[in-house]
Amino acid sequence: MESLRPKWGTRSKNEARAWSLWVVNYFNSCGFIELLPWVGSGYDMERFGILAVGSPRHADVLVVAGYITKKAAKRVKMIYDEMPSPKYVMALGSCPMTGGMYWDSYSTVKRIDEYVPVDVWILGCPPKPENVGHGIVMAMKAIKGGFEGH
Amino acid sequence: MSEEITSSLKSNFPASITGIVSEDKNFSLTAKKEEFCEMLSWLKDSGFDHLSDVTCVDFIEEKEFEVIYHLWSHTRKLRGAVKVRIPRESPSIRSVVDLWAGAQIHERENHEMFGINFDGNPNLSPLFLEDWEEIPPFRKDFNSREYVKKKYYGGE
Amino acid sequence: MEENVLEKEIFFPTMLVPFGPQHPASGHFHAMLKCDGEQVVELIPYPGYLHRGFEKLMEYRLHVQNSMLVDRICVLDPFANEMGYANVVEKAVGVEAPEKGKFIRTIMAELGRILSHITWIGVLSMALGLDSGTRIAWGDREKIIRLNEIATGGRIYPCFFVPGGVRRGFPEGFKEKALKVLDYLEKQLNLYDNLVFQNKTVHVRLERVGVFDSKEAAALGATGPNLRACGIDTDVRRDEPYDAYPEADFKAVTMKEGDGYARALCRRGEISESISMVRQLLEKMPRGKIRIKELALAKAPVGDAHFCCESARGELCFYMVSDGTNKPYRVKVRGPSFSHTLSEFPYLVRGASIADVPAIYWSLDPCPSDMDR
Repeated sequence: MESLRPKWGTRSKNEARAWSLWVVNYFNSCGFIELLPWVGSGYDMERFGILAVGSPRHADVLVVAGYITKKAAKRVKMIYDEMPSPKYVMALGSCPMTGGMYWDSYSTVKRIDEYVPVDVWILGCPPKPENVGHGIVMAMKAIKGGFEGH
Repeated sequence: MSEEITSSLKSNFPASITGIVSEDKNFSLTAKKEEFCEMLSWLKDSGFDHLSDVTCVDFIEEKEFEVIYHLWSHTRKLRGAVKVRIPRESPSIRSVVDLWAGAQIHERENHEMFGINFDGNPNLSPLFLEDWEEIPPFRKDFNSREYVKKKYYGGE
Repeated sequence: MEENVLEKEIFFPTMLVPFGPQHPASGHFHAMLKCDGEQVVELIPYPGYLHRGFEKLMEYRLHVQNSMLVDRICVLDPFANEMGYANVVEKAVGVEAPEKGKFIRTIMAELGRILSHITWIGVLSMALGLDSGTRIAWGDREKIIRLNEIATGGRIYPCFFVPGGVRRGFPEGFKEKALKVLDYLEKQLNLYDNLVFQNKTVHVRLERVGVFDSKEAAALGATGPNLRACGIDTDVRRDEPYDAYPEADFKAVTMKEGDGYARALCRRGEISESISMVRQLLEKMPRGKIRIKELALAKAPVGDAHFCCESARGELCFYMVSDGTNKPYRVKVRGPSFSHTLSEFPYLVRGASIADVPAIYWSLDPCPSDMDR
């Protein structure tokens, strides 16, 4: 009977994860605006298997797109904690990296990786859709190659 | 066109107006703190039914705040501004919520950013900031760059 | 005889339902709905998730640096913010931009209005569950963004209008490309009419939902299409004309009913009017200088200046106080979504059912970054 148990090799598990990355529907701030062409028919993310889902429990990827205020940082951490493993985090734009255009604002967080661990950093203000695509493909290749997330 | 408004105001409230500037389609005047509510009420009854904005400016050298009410009349197509000066120590002014319902949220924002108390406003709880312990951030003695350097960039 | 189960009443205690900040149908805006069963009794807003203290940031920067920063106030309609700031500095200094600069500014501002309304069609469709509207609208938006890139170099944040005019003129062949895009968009409007505006589902979800009359709208501070849907005919482009608007022939679209569907039709009418305005202005474009370069580092005299312009959402006002240096002493930005989301939305939602809340929210076309600044 044991021989009937399906044998999942690591290769197909990683491929399955890479081709169905579901993103939490969290429209952050101005850095998100260049993800709209990915949702629409301009660049179309569904052909990569990416969907935007409403609940953090259904999602694999958290996209922190743009600046985060101190008030929103607590909620980002809450959403990150609610997502089940394996999960990945992408940071879009220069604001979550070092503060960006609002470096001297009293209410924005300057480095998002003090709150959540970040896997992919995408540059730009806002990053062009081609840059975002490059980041997505990098993430997919890493996951196919065995990156486990957290 | 704004001449008739400004001349009626001057005749109705002679003692309160300390400065008046009038162009073709807009006017701006400085009023004393005591009678400015009656003046705004008169303006509302003569057709200024849209309160565009309640702004505040911090003149730290003169030790005064200036509160400015921007008005617009849909019927006459005229724009007006009424400015009131209040002292910087324990600043407080009457609220105009009973004239325009939309004024409540503008006054709440000015209370949080400058620390001005609006008597008669039903809700002055914090609007944008959470757990804010410093002085109201838009005052001129709050240096945003010093605060950020100390808190985030390690004092460099 | 069996008793009719449907006639028995259900009793629920009052409950608090959160709407956002992470929600498929709210921007980045948080509100608590106090509900009695399915009916909303009160809405308590909690804004501030996008607050950057813009007005404080602008006090540390030169005028020309500020004109780069200011288009991030509302990301969905950046040209209106730049227009407001450039005009208020020119008013403070007392100089007007040259004719050709004004024409270029007006053309780009109207293209920005079309862009914002098409984005809004997509967002409204997403909130009402009509996903095809979203996919098609956000694909069409790419055409206008590519025109932005050809003219200004920047897709979303053009940094194009400066105090004194515009940074560069239109390149060779821009007029033909723009006219082709406008012809394409006019044909697509038929598709949007069939898919979204005459759709039975959209009718049922927006008609007689979120109604207010003209007196209430004026008292709560409504502006823009939200106000014109109640019957009050106020449009800053016509009542206090600025830039090249006196040269364009347009009418402000007004409706009478004041409900969600009337607001949607106002915006749909504005897209057609803007397409016609851009065509007229491209024909009439004069020759000449585009910029007064000395205004880049100009010092505004001691005093104040106030300027209002019409963005896609309503009346956007800039009030600047200067102290004789080349940095502003105080800038106040009055965003249209401040009153819409924090005064009108709580008023309209009382008595509605929970399922109608996203429909009312998006029929007002709010921009949370405009509200928080």
